Amino acid sequence: MKAELHEISVNFGTFCAVDNVSLSFAPGEIHALVGENGAGKSTAMSVLFGLNTDYQGNIVINDQHRRWKSPADAISAGVGMVHQHFMLQETMSVLENVILCSEPVNKLGFVSFTTAAKSVQNLIDSYDLQIDQTQKVAELSVGQRQAVEILKLLYRKSDLLILDEPTAVLTPNEKNELFQSLSNFKASGKSIILITHKIDEVMMIADKVSVMRSGNLISSKLLKNTSKDEIQQNIIGGALPKPIKRKQMHPKNIGFEMQKVIIPGLATRRKPISLKVYLGEIVGIAGVSGNGQTPLVEAIVGLRNILSGNMLLSNETISDKDVSARRKIGLSYIPEDRQRVGLALDASVIENSCVSQIRNKKFSNGYFFNLQHLRKFSEQLVSEYDIRVGTVKSKVRTMSGGNKQKLVVARELEQKKQLVIAENPTWGVDIGAINKIHQELIKMRDMGHAILLVSNEIEEIMGLSDRIHVMANGQLSESMNSAQVTANKLGKLMLSHNEPTLSEKLEKMQP
Amino acid sequence: MTHRLYSLLAASMLLLMTFASLIWLADADFFKSIMAFFKGAFGGRKYAYLLVTISRAALITGMAIAALIAFRAGLFNIGGEGQLVIGGLASAFVAINLPFGGPAGIFLVLLAGMIAAGGWAIIAGIMKLWLGVPILVGTLLLNYPARYIASYFVSHPLRDISSGMPQTHLIEKSLWLPLIPGTRLDIGFIFILLVFCLVLIYCYRTVGGYEAKMTGLSIDFANASGLKTKKISLKTLALSGAIAGLVGAIAVLGLHHRFTDGMLVQPLYAWTGIVAALMVSLIPWAVLPAGFFFAAIHSGASGMERTADVPKEIAIIIQGMIILFVASKVPAAFNQNIGDGK
Amino acid sequence: MLESIFDPAFADSVARISIPILLAALGGAICHRAGVFNIALEGFLLMGAFMAVFGSHFTSSATWGTLFAMCGGIFMALLFAEFHLRRPGDPIVVSIAINLISLGLSTYLLRAIFDVSGVFQSDQIQKIALIDIPLIKNIPFLGSFFSGQSLLFYFSLAIVIFAHFFFKYHQLGIWLRAAGENKQALEAGGVSSKKIQFIALILCGALCGLGGAQLSISNVGLFVENMSAGRGWIAVVIVLVTGGRALPLLGLVFLFGTIDSASLRVQGFGWPQQFTEMMPYLASLLALIFVCYRKLKFEKNTRGIRNV
Repeated sequence: MKAELHEISVNFGTFCAVDNVSLSFAPGEIHALVGENGAGKSTAMSVLFGLNTDYQGNIVINDQHRRWKSPADAISAGVGMVHQHFMLQETMSVLENVILCSEPVNKLGFVSFTTAAKSVQNLIDSYDLQIDQTQKVAELSVGQRQAVEILKLLYRKSDLLILDEPTAVLTPNEKNELFQSLSNFKASGKSIILITHKIDEVMMIADKVSVMRSGNLISSKLLKNTSKDEIQQNIIGGALPKPIKRKQMHPKNIGFEMQKVIIPGLATRRKPISLKVYLGEIVGIAGVSGNGQTPLVEAIVGLRNILSGNMLLSNETISDKDVSARRKIGLSYIPEDRQRVGLALDASVIENSCVSQIRNKKFSNGYFFNLQHLRKFSEQLVSEYDIRVGTVKSKVRTMSGGNKQKLVVARELEQKKQLVIAENPTWGVDIGAINKIHQELIKMRDMGHAILLVSNEIEEIMGLSDRIHVMANGQLSESMNSAQVTANKLGKLMLSHNEPTLSEKLEKMQP
Repeated sequence: MTHRLYSLLAASMLLLMTFASLIWLADADFFKSIMAFFKGAFGGRKYAYLLVTISRAALITGMAIAALIAFRAGLFNIGGEGQLVIGGLASAFVAINLPFGGPAGIFLVLLAGMIAAGGWAIIAGIMKLWLGVPILVGTLLLNYPARYIASYFVSHPLRDISSGMPQTHLIEKSLWLPLIPGTRLDIGFIFILLVFCLVLIYCYRTVGGYEAKMTGLSIDFANASGLKTKKISLKTLALSGAIAGLVGAIAVLGLHHRFTDGMLVQPLYAWTGIVAALMVSLIPWAVLPAGFFFAAIHSGASGMERTADVPKEIAIIIQGMIILFVASKVPAAFNQNIGDGK
Repeated sequence: MLESIFDPAFADSVARISIPILLAALGGAICHRAGVFNIALEGFLLMGAFMAVFGSHFTSSATWGTLFAMCGGIFMALLFAEFHLRRPGDPIVVSIAINLISLGLSTYLLRAIFDVSGVFQSDQIQKIALIDIPLIKNIPFLGSFFSGQSLLFYFSLAIVIFAHFFFKYHQLGIWLRAAGENKQALEAGGVSSKKIQFIALILCGALCGLGGAQLSISNVGLFVENMSAGRGWIAVVIVLVTGGRALPLLGLVFLFGTIDSASLRVQGFGWPQQFTEMMPYLASLLALIFVCYRKLKFEKNTRGIRNV
């Protein structure tokens, strides 16, 4: 099918998310829609999929003007979308999820599972997927879940497939396999839209590239008519940021150490974890989300108990201490989930800046706090990190993702604690903010702090770390010197052994 | 802007229509009822009814403050009724058995009420922290035992047999709260005003109030930031219960001078306080006008029953409808983990 | 003493007393599974009880009374839906408001329409028929439990069985579960979760309304102010604790019914009325503690989570 967006604009109140964007998608083509976080790519596609019905402009399918009232309309017209955050029902089986909302029903409304199961099994067999359709989704690995999402599209015979950041949760190997299958889809005449912010992937697989920035369409060209540099320039809208310089450090003292720690909930096999972070270095833990990073970080911060082993911070045992004691000894934490764990969205910037330090002498006398000092401190943070917000009294909810993250980073780093734990610190953040955050982390390192960086972005790990571990299946690899490691090697280590590869399955995907 | 005005008008129209239909159902005269309402709330000889409204407002506002403190910290304490009753019972018990009277006695009685009710609230806190029982459910389920315990005590051990009713003896005059000279209004409302001011300071200026607020806005954020949320929860529940107990003690010493079965439950002080606090989205200074507002509605309805033969329950209906309209206009006061009402 | 408590009439009363709570809990369970946080069951139940008496009195028919009861429950459910689904009202606030409105309205109408206060009784009220099941009623003990109960008893048991198949195999049932578990996923598939939740609320209102009818025009034929007397809240607790799962729900409902019946019996032995009235609530509390503590231990062991 041929699909076009004509002069689409989407406004959320006074904020313009998509500004007069026109795009066309041809059959048998992989069209990459790129731009940094917050550029408006997902919003524009949500219009095409019918999730967003409040827009100006037109949707044209096969030369006919269409208007969707809900995703149901888009789906029946042949448009399918795999979202960044999977839309699956955990307690239901693969089968139930695949047919959800399109179930075959009899006159009384009862679903004929036998018919459905047959069709779905057909699809599974023809593409040789290693999925048991009776399994509950909750038991599936991330790669398998994505396969279910794609299965949903196949079941509904979608001709236009929109994939939103599909590789964010895949290991490098799985990525290649996904791309192989996408090529096969393309060969069979389907139209594919790939929303991504990763240019390397675009160069690998796309036929056409459209760049969006701040809601505007900057360019839309065939891949062969453009270059990686040009695309990057369009995404950023200016010069590329300079690579960050770092001091030559000779770390001698241990800032933080874990000795044979066993953490409950860390995958099925409870292998003891040992690692060291010296003062003046950044240790990176690479790995795809969901391999035990969260329990590990929670155990270090103090939100989760450990079963055995020892943890030392500044040579003090912290295994039995609570979060506030650990913070006092010398810990700061930049959480992955800024909305729920990093900030209180309905509180002001001032209130969010000082929670960990409120009992500090400079902010309170134990009973009453000093509003002036709090305000000065938060204003300092805002100016130092160039945080865009109305005033420090504004609610944090009004800030953009990048600014929220900068506030969290500013607040934590400003405490100048020995150990900084940074968990996916630049997830969902625009390039300007990413750069600033990376700069500040390196600054902390150069000043002699110990930084533990946990991230699922290989580039980030390799760009910042002095030493690297890989986390897969709850197990931590040996430490490697970052200078001696390649992205490929990391990728191999990140492969989880349990999952059947998204590989051979989608290999022969033909309609 | 016009949209808001329009919806305000529509809501007012609906309320008025509901009000009118209810009056019609009661076979009462519409205008007579309206007059009776305003007289009942604000009028009377020497403003007697206005003073009653103030007295009532004190109790409702007090309960609203108790609810505010808890909800603000993320604790769904809907056990205000139980805490109120336990506080009232304890204060009556102490008042009757106290060997002396006067201001010192009054102070002790109020304290007794606060401690007993605070303790009752902490039971729910302990159940949550050590047994995993959600606060919403724990505080709610403690309401009933509280009621029955109080009922038992005033029907048997503490009963004033000669009065023929399930109530305690009359408390000796030196323990009664003094009245405002020239009126029948006791100074209980001044205590509540004092508590109100202290709570405002607590919410806006103290470290404790700040930490409680952060805990209420996002428990995960609070934990990760190092706040001792367990301690904060217990302290807050104790404070919330204590305030409810104070209200109960004030009702016993100032209004009724004894504890009668059901006297704190029937007028729905606790539930009215809860909805008043929720209605103003837990904004601390706003619970005072909200409490007064609802007290006026109740007094007005009593007036309507006296003069125009309209059952006074109309107050509860109107109050509920106002809550519905207001609750759907203002943003949710708190984040919830829907599922087990933590 | 035990024999005088646990005789066949006791089994009969356990079943009878459990019905309103069972119906309310079933309604609450539907809302819970659909993701609607409804703690207004007390209000729904009360309104149903009043409307049952109202309808039965003016039509002299139990059937119409039951229908009126359902409408009463549905009316409150519509209020809930309007202010929580169509408008962005917080479900806890809306629930408490509806409970208050129910209390106020039922008492008000009692006085305004029937001109009495406290209790209303009349000869025109028809009660719901009791059904004797021929063979079963002769089984000792269980016989009086299962036979000779009101129509609504058998109806509610049927609902439990039907619900099992409904949630598993019926499209609407599946959509209800999906709305409760992952609303966005349902929307992305093109189904309006608000519509689904609305249906759940209506079903809940109907069931609670029937529960009210059982309260007021089955065993007795009258309406007392605040007749639901906390049963709706017990249903709320049962739903929250069991997560709407059928077997635990049935278990807790009948446990409460047993203790409630026992407490009535025990009054005959001279125990103070207040203690016996307190027993069911204390029992619920204990059952609650038991279930919640197990869950807490499980969480602590498997995931070592440290904080509440």
